[in-house]
Amino acid sequence: METKAKFDFKEFWHNKGWPFLRNIFINHNYVVSLIILLIIGSFASSNFLSFANIINLVKSSTFIGIIALGMTLVIISGNIDLSVGSVLALVAANTAVVFNATHSVFISLLFAIVFGAILGAINGFFIGKAKVASFIVTLATMTAFRSLTIQQGQGGPILIDQEAYYGILREIAYGKFLNIPNLVWIFVIVVGLVILLMTKTKFGRYVYAVGSNEKAARLSGINVDRIKIYIFSLTGLLTGIAAFLYVTRFGSVDTATAGKGFELDAIAAVAIGGTSMAGGRGFVQGTFFGIVVLYAIDAILTSFKVPAFVNDLIKGILILGAVLLQKALDRNKK
Amino acid sequence: MIVKFNNISKNFGAIQALKNVSFEIGDSEIHGLLGENGAGKSTLMNILGGVLRPTEGNIEIDGQEYSFITASIAKELGIAFIHQELNLINDLKVFENLFLHNELVQGKVYLNKKEMINKSYAVFKRMNVDIDPTVFVRELDTLQKQLVEIARAILFDSKLIIMDEPTTALTNKEIDNLFGIMKDLKSHNISCIYISHKMPELFAICDKYTVLRDGKFIKSGFFKDINEETATNLLVGRSIVEDKNIKRDQVNSEKVLEIKNITCEPFFRNISFDIKKGEVVAITGLFGDGRGELSESLFGARKITSGEVLLDGTKLNLSSIKNVMKSGISMIPRNRKERSIIKDFSILNNVSVAHFTSKHKKLFINNKEELERFERNQKVTNIKVGSPKDLVTSLSGGNQQKVIFSRWFELDSEVYILDNPTQGIDVGAKFEIYQLINKLAKQGKSIIVFSSEFQEIHKIAHRCIVMYRGDINKILTFDQLNEVDVMYYSTGSNRKES
Repeated sequence: METKAKFDFKEFWHNKGWPFLRNIFINHNYVVSLIILLIIGSFASSNFLSFANIINLVKSSTFIGIIALGMTLVIISGNIDLSVGSVLALVAANTAVVFNATHSVFISLLFAIVFGAILGAINGFFIGKAKVASFIVTLATMTAFRSLTIQQGQGGPILIDQEAYYGILREIAYGKFLNIPNLVWIFVIVVGLVILLMTKTKFGRYVYAVGSNEKAARLSGINVDRIKIYIFSLTGLLTGIAAFLYVTRFGSVDTATAGKGFELDAIAAVAIGGTSMAGGRGFVQGTFFGIVVLYAIDAILTSFKVPAFVNDLIKGILILGAVLLQKALDRNKK
Repeated sequence: MIVKFNNISKNFGAIQALKNVSFEIGDSEIHGLLGENGAGKSTLMNILGGVLRPTEGNIEIDGQEYSFITASIAKELGIAFIHQELNLINDLKVFENLFLHNELVQGKVYLNKKEMINKSYAVFKRMNVDIDPTVFVRELDTLQKQLVEIARAILFDSKLIIMDEPTTALTNKEIDNLFGIMKDLKSHNISCIYISHKMPELFAICDKYTVLRDGKFIKSGFFKDINEETATNLLVGRSIVEDKNIKRDQVNSEKVLEIKNITCEPFFRNISFDIKKGEVVAITGLFGDGRGELSESLFGARKITSGEVLLDGTKLNLSSIKNVMKSGISMIPRNRKERSIIKDFSILNNVSVAHFTSKHKKLFINNKEELERFERNQKVTNIKVGSPKDLVTSLSGGNQQKVIFSRWFELDSEVYILDNPTQGIDVGAKFEIYQLINKLAKQGKSIIVFSSEFQEIHKIAHRCIVMYRGDINKILTFDQLNEVDVMYYSTGSNRKES
């Protein structure tokens, strides 16, 4: 005999609902700052919480967001990468050159990915094999790659063949699929792949292990040097994808300013997303929320008509606030 | 200074490190504190030295009661604690270390270096030692560093100096020198609490003793009223002494690992020995014997400059750790916290690490398999956990070490290198680890244990290699194994005579 179980809300709450919420508050509290910001945003403008607006937020997060995913791996492994902005500029400039020569989307994309990965591998080589601190290596390559890019453009922009751009390239950045911008699709797919990489593969485990205890990782047979090279190459690869999308979006690359400051926004997104700056702990999905929070702050400031000059001041304070909020929630863990 | 411990208890979470300990340390006496690792000596001394606060009880110093002592109270009272791992800053000069945080100044701002150097000279003269206060501490040897710590205690008028195993890294002559200074201190009304495992030293220098076992006070008295055997009995408790007649199983004669003339200057040279199937070989020695580096070299974690290692008759490629692991050698490193535990990982994930690097072939991790691996090993190593998804740091030291054992058991290697496997774990867990080691040997695994504890070696080893300054000084079989000889060969006493 079986009596059909009636849905018991109390039991459901006790067994599923509350533990789920608790888990979010304690382990994924970056979601909390996003919710708070969205509420603030809804006061600023009535359509802030509209579907279109939120999709728009995600869309504008795409470039730095994809870079920030790589930055997440770098920071979880206990390193830092300051060169991502310059890597983006150098890859974007040369992708423009390649596209002008070939008019092929496929070859341009392939070039951007491979060239980005190579530049990342250069960082990785000096960090993993030559054992120079990542801060120093990427500070050096940040300056060097930027200089190379500016030399290439002689201080000015590198333009794309306009006819070909409007013909094929532009549609990638401005087009939509199922009424959602392509950029959002691409971003979300890349986020999904990186989450899969970090949670379901050995490589992901190794990244966490290296950041948590490098010595123990090495003595467990992990080739730490090689893992570091892979991490930086992957970050270069992701930056390459971002560079390709950048080209499709803007149709030209200003060699002096393209990607400038992206490294700081990427690091901020990782921090807001709850990744430990000391390494060993963090979530890729946290960075996704982190970058959206960062752009939500921007959007809110605009709709509150905050004077542009103090924009960054308030942004700085809000970033600090978001991280402090996490610390406070983290303390409940103990 | 008269120190009285009144009913001191100390809990760390559920673990009770001290239970109602009461005894007294008299004026101008050298008081030996005895106990096995984990008996609570360090905890008690940390309470006296102002590092920890007791959960219950109080400390009476010269009639004044303190419910706890802070670092600044300890300093005011004149209690100096010389830790086993010395607390000196290598990149500062000797006098700068002596006056660290107590600098003499001129006109409130400028350091009065001249005065500090002069006072340093004076204190070394009083101690009758020859150390130049203006050299960097990194240029000193271990004895000199120890003496600098003692000088610091004298300089600031300490009344009581706690020394935690000060002689582990010293030669016999240096020990005599240290004892001379301690006797001189005693004649100047300075008391010492002397922690050591070495019976002959305790009997040579100390007036009174106190024995702690499992966090409990066992007995206090005068050394002149007891002998080494009664002291050992007090120390370990009867139950463990009885197994003195343990025998080792005969081991197979089949050689598994042959180490031929391996050298890694300046740490060790010309090391040759072999291990048979099912055999446990212990390697021991004192600080500076190169045994830590030897363990790393055997696992491919440190490059050797010459020599070779054969596993089952074929030459082992020591170029990478992964290679060595795949050939069938596992290593549990010393210093668990620094070298084994991945602190941000769950218990479950900590167990998996070595499996992933040497055995896992699939693209994705399978959570179910991971859990099965954990449960399989949990049965063998008997890890006590709430949930395997808890952080590994939520476990006690002993259980953490069992997690690490599980990590390597999963590989089912032929040879297990265990570097100080019972470091910092309690007596009960130690016993379980010894059982595990004996069980592994019975299964036909070959085991090399690097250890500094004689009791441990005696419980598990078939043979014991004693190292001295990078050489194999002596190999003792189980029948020849006794604490006095091990000490004799590890201090190099046989060599100095010739």
